[in-house]
Amino acid sequence: MEGVSYQRFPKIKIREVKDDYMKFELRETDASIANALRRVMISEVPTIAIDLVEIEVNSSVLNDEFIAHRLGLVPLISERAMAMRFSRDCDACDGDGQCEYCSVEFHLRAKCINDTTLDVTSKDLYSSDHTVVPVDFSDASSTIDNTESRGIIIVKLRRGQELILRAIARKGIGKDHAKWSPAATVTFMYEPEIYINEELMETLTMEEKQEFVDSSPTKVFDINPRNGQVYVHNAENYAYDDEVLKKAEAMGKPGLVEIHAKEDSFIFTVETTGGIKASQLLINAIEILKQKLDAVRLSADTVEADEQFGELGAHMRGG
Amino acid sequence: MVVREDDADLFNGLHETGLNIDKQALAAPVKKAVDKFKLVPEFLKVRGLVKQHLDSFNFFVRTGIKKIVQANNLITHSRDQNIYLRYKDVRIGQPSMMGDSVSDLLNPQKCRLSDITYAAPIYVNIEYSNGGNEGIQRKRDVIIGRLPIMLKSCCCVLYGRDEEELARYGECPLDPGGYFVVKGTEKVILMQEQLSKNRIIIDTDQKGCVQASVTSSSEARKSKTVIRIEKEKIYLHLNGFASKVPIMIVLKAMGMESDQEVVQMIGRDPRYSELLLPSIEDSVKEGVHTQSQALEFLERKVQKSQFYTPVVKEGRALKILQETFLANVPVHENNLRPKCIYVAVMLRRMIEAILNKDTLDDKDYVGNKRVELSGQLLALLFEDLFKTMNEMAHQKIEVLLSKTARTSRFDISQHIKNDCITNGLERALSTGNWDIKRFRMNRKGMSQVLGRLSYIGTVGHMTRIAPQFEKSRKVSGPRALQPSQWGMLCPCDTPEGEACGLVKNLALMAHVTTDEDERPLIALCYALGVEDLELLSAEELHMPDSYLVIFNGLILGKHRMPQTFANLMRKLRRAGKIGEFVSIFVNEKQRCVYLASDGSRVCRPLVIADKGVSRIKEHHMKELRDGVRNFQSFLKEGLIEYLDVNEENNALIALYEEDAREETTHIEIEPFTILGVIAGLIPYPHHNQSPRNTYQCAMGKQAMGNIAFNQLSRFDSLIYLLVYPQRPLLTTRTIELVSYDKLGAGQNASVAVMSYSGYDIEDAIVMNKSSLDRGFGRCIVMKKLVAINQKYANGTSDRIIRPQRDGHDAEQTQILDDDGLASPGEIIRPRDIYINKQSPIDTKSGGNAGNTVKLKDSQYKSSKQTYKGTEGDTTVVDRVALCTDKNSNLCIKYMIRSTRRPEVGDKFSSRHGQKGVCGTIVQQEDFPFSERGVCPDLIMNPHGFPSRMTVGKMIELLGSKAGVSCGRFHYGSAFGEPSGHADKVETISETLVKHGFSYNGKDFLYSGITGEPLQAYIFMGPIYYQKLKHMVLDKMHARGNGPRVMMTRQPTEGRSKNGGLRVGEMERDCLIAYGASMLIHERLMLSSDPFEVQVCRKCGLMGYYSEKLKAGICSMCKNGENISTMKMPYACKLLFQELQSMNIVPRLKLTDA
Repeated sequence: MEGVSYQRFPKIKIREVKDDYMKFELRETDASIANALRRVMISEVPTIAIDLVEIEVNSSVLNDEFIAHRLGLVPLISERAMAMRFSRDCDACDGDGQCEYCSVEFHLRAKCINDTTLDVTSKDLYSSDHTVVPVDFSDASSTIDNTESRGIIIVKLRRGQELILRAIARKGIGKDHAKWSPAATVTFMYEPEIYINEELMETLTMEEKQEFVDSSPTKVFDINPRNGQVYVHNAENYAYDDEVLKKAEAMGKPGLVEIHAKEDSFIFTVETTGGIKASQLLINAIEILKQKLDAVRLSADTVEADEQFGELGAHMRGG
Repeated sequence: MVVREDDADLFNGLHETGLNIDKQALAAPVKKAVDKFKLVPEFLKVRGLVKQHLDSFNFFVRTGIKKIVQANNLITHSRDQNIYLRYKDVRIGQPSMMGDSVSDLLNPQKCRLSDITYAAPIYVNIEYSNGGNEGIQRKRDVIIGRLPIMLKSCCCVLYGRDEEELARYGECPLDPGGYFVVKGTEKVILMQEQLSKNRIIIDTDQKGCVQASVTSSSEARKSKTVIRIEKEKIYLHLNGFASKVPIMIVLKAMGMESDQEVVQMIGRDPRYSELLLPSIEDSVKEGVHTQSQALEFLERKVQKSQFYTPVVKEGRALKILQETFLANVPVHENNLRPKCIYVAVMLRRMIEAILNKDTLDDKDYVGNKRVELSGQLLALLFEDLFKTMNEMAHQKIEVLLSKTARTSRFDISQHIKNDCITNGLERALSTGNWDIKRFRMNRKGMSQVLGRLSYIGTVGHMTRIAPQFEKSRKVSGPRALQPSQWGMLCPCDTPEGEACGLVKNLALMAHVTTDEDERPLIALCYALGVEDLELLSAEELHMPDSYLVIFNGLILGKHRMPQTFANLMRKLRRAGKIGEFVSIFVNEKQRCVYLASDGSRVCRPLVIADKGVSRIKEHHMKELRDGVRNFQSFLKEGLIEYLDVNEENNALIALYEEDAREETTHIEIEPFTILGVIAGLIPYPHHNQSPRNTYQCAMGKQAMGNIAFNQLSRFDSLIYLLVYPQRPLLTTRTIELVSYDKLGAGQNASVAVMSYSGYDIEDAIVMNKSSLDRGFGRCIVMKKLVAINQKYANGTSDRIIRPQRDGHDAEQTQILDDDGLASPGEIIRPRDIYINKQSPIDTKSGGNAGNTVKLKDSQYKSSKQTYKGTEGDTTVVDRVALCTDKNSNLCIKYMIRSTRRPEVGDKFSSRHGQKGVCGTIVQQEDFPFSERGVCPDLIMNPHGFPSRMTVGKMIELLGSKAGVSCGRFHYGSAFGEPSGHADKVETISETLVKHGFSYNGKDFLYSGITGEPLQAYIFMGPIYYQKLKHMVLDKMHARGNGPRVMMTRQPTEGRSKNGGLRVGEMERDCLIAYGASMLIHERLMLSSDPFEVQVCRKCGLMGYYSEKLKAGICSMCKNGENISTMKMPYACKLLFQELQSMNIVPRLKLTDA
């Protein structure tokens, strides 16, 4: 019964980590795993976002739904999100989603009293939980903009206009609404493998070499100024645009370079909204991916699996 | 040499900046020619977008109205000339409203909100005498009526206000003005296209007979004269005569007794006289030789008046000849010779047309057309109403003075009443019906409600020209694009369907003239060597050495050196000595010099060139940029002039300065100005297939966006707004000129051109759910609800009461405040009550209007109003406004609002006539992505391109993509590449490559579902997308059981009545062919209108079921013996009964099934 094991042991090599940015290599696995990881990062890793807004006073120019929508899109620090409960399956409150386990309360109170326009920003949101606050982007580049860099603008108020509201933030996932997606960018590329046919390359004149190098819109090749040899400057800059191959063809030198995508090696770029750290996003994503696989494995044993997956269920059980 | 460090930095800096020179700027074509573009904004600054409307109205208010009053300034008693009233002066006051003896100043926004008319009083100064010994009395500022005021005209409070002041009036600074506010609704008087007045038009009638027609219009009279050749004889058709009259007799009646003179006047060419011969013979046959014989002959042909028999029998023919016949030719001291000459010229041109078909006039030629504007139309209306008012006053005076005993002192000044003019103007504007009996004018749909769907729609509405023909005519001529439209009318902007080609729009720089005083110009012509015809013999009229000089359709005389004369006149015009809109046109073919100073001609500015060298030099443009100069100074110094369509024929206009040759007389200012406002929004329209631009022109008006800066304080009946409108990444010069970048209607969507999911066939688009979550295509729909607290004639009135908080309808009254009105911010659901109103049961009897009556609670019945919305979207009460309406009832207006996100079936469109519905909405993780992390907002199927050939859209994508990567808005103005107003694809590609994209705009994408690379490179980049007003939520409809029509008992029709979906004839045919008889039976009867009837087997008629006897009875046979019960559609039963009522007996013959 035991089939051939396709088990592999993917490796991750982290190249660069910042708070909201990360670049890493994922090796020794195939596109399905890489893509699963990407998809989970976009839409399954939970964060906290404002979900319910009760507006008490709103005399601003934007209407209530407008402001509520804008509030929802404000990224909140969501380190707590994994530990929190979804309000739909929280048993501490009876489904109204207003208890401390599943929600965070915010208050906003702003009124413009002088003639200059008042910007109501995410910094005016007061949280009931000091760990869940709107993301602050100001400190990163404080050298440039010192003049009290305010948060994300929600609305601008004129003299006499007022905005008072209460907002409830809840845990959610990006699948339900993009506001819960922790990822600003998650993308990967196949690592390119570039072979330069040195022999053929040497038949080119210096101008032709330069032409060949310039033919790529991104800087992939370069010429060594010392020996005049063309070398791969940065293979990852290659955007699979075939420009150099076409150029080689046009120069009458097909096979000048050979470029392949490595089927089992991926370079990931992850940027977050600031709600959680990029590294945490990866860890959480792997965690969730594991849970999901566990769920499949668990349900695989049950009778429901047969109903749910039919023949596939039997297949999963190894039948 | 020691180079200090900071110096080195400086050097480096210099070096760097040296390297960072914008390659695009370098790559841009070196402009040899002077960049004249700056003139366009300058032109629009002085002109505004709707200057034609404003000019016309200002002309009416300043000059026209004075002339009308001047022409009809006297009311006298028919017997006593000492009793009279004379109007001395007329002026328009400030827009105001007459309250109870105090006048309130008005502003447009106030009028819109409180449903009143934005009108100003018409003041006159009068001088009158009551015939007694009081002598002449004078009164100043008597109000004779109230004139609706065009917004931003010289009478409007908004005239010449700056942005801040406009904001204080609650007005949008970008609003073009040019419309009226009548009873709170904004009304535009569309420009009316017409055939030239007072001009000879030679054409053929339906039978192919050549005819010359003149539609005469003078201050005193309007008539139409037609001279037609029928069976080789020439006849006159005129309204005053009952039948056609031979033209020779008419000429004789006007004193041209000698046939020789007639022939001489027309031309001595034997071919001419040959054609004239039958007509001459005809008059001899009739025995008409002298003037008196001719008049006698005509007397018999005079139309009998239908209403009354005129007192004077004699001389009616002469009167018609003097007044009606060619009414535009003035008659001084009974001298009919000018009319004879005019007829001769008409005949000559007709005969020419017979000999040479090419000389027929083209009715569709723009030079033969006039565009009548609101000022002229209002003038017509006012003239009629003013005359009516004077007549009424006259009659009243007659009646009053014929009575011997009068109770009060007679005062003539009391009898000019002001409601006639006020109501007449208001009615015409609000219904759009121009019924002027005096001028036999009966036109409908002259005014329209200003479209406020989008800002660009509003501006577009103001430039629209209504057609002269009815739309139903199946002719192609008037619908075709005329070459003479160039620069005057937009070649793209016309609707599809029945009005195609008939409804037009003005081009960006086109201007419509207003009337100009003729007298000084005529004097000037004579001074410049025009020989008066009075002094010439008939023979000399068409001498080969001279040209006729025709001024506004009037023959002034002839000139021996027409070209010199024309050049002199033009010189005077360029020097500003005569009006800038006077046109001088030398027609070599007709050997005429046409001068025109009349209104309603379309014209446009052009740069003057001397021997192919533009008069505008670089230093002029620099002065313009520095603000030393303006458009007016260009005109004044003779650098630019206005040419109308006719004069364009005497000019050789070069498109660009480089193309100018020796003979070139003018140079275009900018080629993109041949397009109108709406077509100007399309980027790269010159790369698109032409109908696509036309489609976009229709769709641009339906796009949602921002309407105006004051959009949230307006109470329109329906407003569609976009939540996050953007300005297009790829703009055009027109967009900037009309401020579309400030009030945009669309969003820049990142588009991938690829096939995805199969839900994108037939132009459907696939949308990214995350983009929608983040606000793409999100819109706000606002609707108005109105309730009126009516007062009744018997002194009772409606009342609004506090809602019952408990009780059976407490559920529906939740949103009401204690004052009985819904409060802002409440969610309003279908069947919710928004006003808890009660009406008195008895509104007729008892009491009178003056005093209010207290009624008991039992005397009221509930008349609360409920909201009838559709389920499916959340609607909120946005604002509540209370105001008094025109009948001083309390009027309650609600604005309700709902925010919608795009859903499957909503309609979207790019700016290239490529509309499509949203086919499906897909999660972001399933969307394709690039290795940069770019993920499109929507996916468009590539099959949209080959058959549509919208290359402009592809260039827009490239340009926008380059625009986002380099941070500069790119341009795509029409025909803009040579002049630098459109970026070229090569430069765009260079920018793309510089930022690491492929030059062709294609990207390498990975599938979001599998993570594998896609097989093809995907053309991806931003395109400006418009959300159109058609949304499924407003159209979706289904029904199970529901209402039925009373008469036939069949389900109602239409979504608004919750109607059923019809199984029509074709569907029925299918079912018959398929043989699904049970289904047909079920659809057509059981689910529609089943009915049980009692049929008598004996007589075959229908009886009834008697409840008493529990049996069917035939009322014909008077028994129930042969009754059968059967089912049939109620409609069938109804048909039988209706036939019976018409004495047709349908009998049913029953057999066993």
